[in-house]
Amino acid sequence: MTGRIARAGGIVTAAALLAIALPFVANNYFVGVGFTLLVWIALTESWIVISGMTGYISLGHVVFIGIGAYIAALTWLVLPIWLILPLAGVAAAALATLVGYPCLRVRGPYFVILTFGLSELVKYVVVNIEAALAVSGRVLFGAPGVETLYFMALALAWASVIIAVAVRESRFGSALRAIRENEEAAETIGIAIGRFKAAAFVLSSIIPGMVGALMIMRSTYFDPLEIFSPQTSVLIVTMAVIGGSDRPLGPMLGVGFLILLQELLWANLPQLYMIVVGALLIAVVVWLPGGIYVRLQQMITAAAR
Amino acid sequence: MSTQLLIAALVAGSIYALIALGLNLIYGTMRLLNVAHGEVVMIGAYVAYWGISLLSVGPLVSALVAIPLAAALGAVIYLGLFRRAMRSAEFMERIEGNSLLVFFGVSVILQNVASLLFTPNQRGYRYQDEIVHFVGATVPVNKLIVLAIAGAVCVAAVLFFRMSTLGLAIKALIQQREAAALVGIPLARVELTSLCLGFAAAGLAGVLVSMTEEISPFMGFPLTVTAFVVVILGGLGNVLGSLIGGLLLGVLETFGVALTAPSYRSIMIYAVFIAVLLLRPQGLLGAGRSRT
Repeated sequence: MTGRIARAGGIVTAAALLAIALPFVANNYFVGVGFTLLVWIALTESWIVISGMTGYISLGHVVFIGIGAYIAALTWLVLPIWLILPLAGVAAAALATLVGYPCLRVRGPYFVILTFGLSELVKYVVVNIEAALAVSGRVLFGAPGVETLYFMALALAWASVIIAVAVRESRFGSALRAIRENEEAAETIGIAIGRFKAAAFVLSSIIPGMVGALMIMRSTYFDPLEIFSPQTSVLIVTMAVIGGSDRPLGPMLGVGFLILLQELLWANLPQLYMIVVGALLIAVVVWLPGGIYVRLQQMITAAAR
Repeated sequence: MSTQLLIAALVAGSIYALIALGLNLIYGTMRLLNVAHGEVVMIGAYVAYWGISLLSVGPLVSALVAIPLAAALGAVIYLGLFRRAMRSAEFMERIEGNSLLVFFGVSVILQNVASLLFTPNQRGYRYQDEIVHFVGATVPVNKLIVLAIAGAVCVAAVLFFRMSTLGLAIKALIQQREAAALVGIPLARVELTSLCLGFAAAGLAGVLVSMTEEISPFMGFPLTVTAFVVVILGGLGNVLGSLIGGLLLGVLETFGVALTAPSYRSIMIYAVFIAVLLLRPQGLLGAGRSRT
């Protein structure tokens, strides 16, 4: 088991080391695209730790991004960046700890709707706090350039994949999958389901919190309505599902595919981009269960035969 | 003052009830989470808008087009996307999550097609907006029409589920799927009918909404969210519960905003929603359905 983690971790680390070269060989446009790609990899790989492993589909992961971003906006220029980033992660983890236990008691569609409702509730609470403070949007002066942010995003993406691989191959991951397949049976054989689910939930919240801080450093602007947008949660789910959310490689395929599509279509035909995303989502769920990853695997096995 | 608020609460509540009724009917019979429900409302609203601005046809006449159009859309979605998938055990194992994703795709497509065809701008039309005095309150006529129609449909729905064979068959299917099949209820046909009825109600609701509010391609999403809140209040799968839930939310929203400030509206709704989900996931009225 540890051998597999070490091997997969080695491949991921090698890929990350290669990716360090990008800002030295490419112009700012491609570094920006690379940043977007890495940010979404970090988000989807974190998401599968709870939703891929346990089957508890979170439609509210944007709440962790938003909280991380809010903490970063509040402490901007007060604290140094190397403190802001971990603090954003801690804030997200604290929120996940607070809501994890009660939320994970409800299952199925209730959990999905609950996570969504929670992220909207926190959004409007932040909106009202900002209104009470008479602040309309916060500008981040002196944010680092795209190359520095790229390296930070690379570190987060690397960490998220390592965590996803390690969880998947560990006893912890087996316990989470047991919960997904049959929660009562898992409890009967002695898995502390409450604690395991909560731990997975907290683990999947930390990196999104830090990503939130990076996202507003990139846009140099904090607006709660934008950073807490439910569309982000939905995109995370869509990318993971299109790629295949059962293995760490799946979400990366989904992210790559959708970001490529976004770069091609978003600027000129945003509506067409969304229509294609919707159609892809339907097609994968109805005709391609398991996502692109499983289909690719089948094609490779068929070709090898 | 208070009759004024009460009428406003009833108008909002009856619309919510009508939208939530369809959503819950679809969930109850097939376990499909229709997050594209608000987009069906949006389509109904655009039918009414184009009816009055291109053909000078009143919204009540347009409703005769919007309702069958919405029902047909439901049939196309069922036959095209779900009939085959629902035979696969793998799809059915996670039917709720899968249907949520499929309908989300449908919702994104409908929103953006509407935005391409009709531009993303807000639109509105004037219809019966003179003010009348009604039991001590001053109300525009169009709100009274909305209240009368939505209220009548809700009452008709109660009678339908109590009295008619089809209504009873749908209720049986919601309560015990296997047993319903055993006593000879044709599942596929009743499912299709429920889905079409749910979509039809949403189409009608769209016509009614357009009579009093501005419409846009993206108006559906907040309505879907509100409908889910109503459904949770009344209990998922409890069709009549969503009628009471709708009225409850209308009252809560109208009086809550009047007592505090409009900016607290969303916080209030989501707080109630989350509290109900955590404390009574079977709904305020539910008598302990299974949570899964």
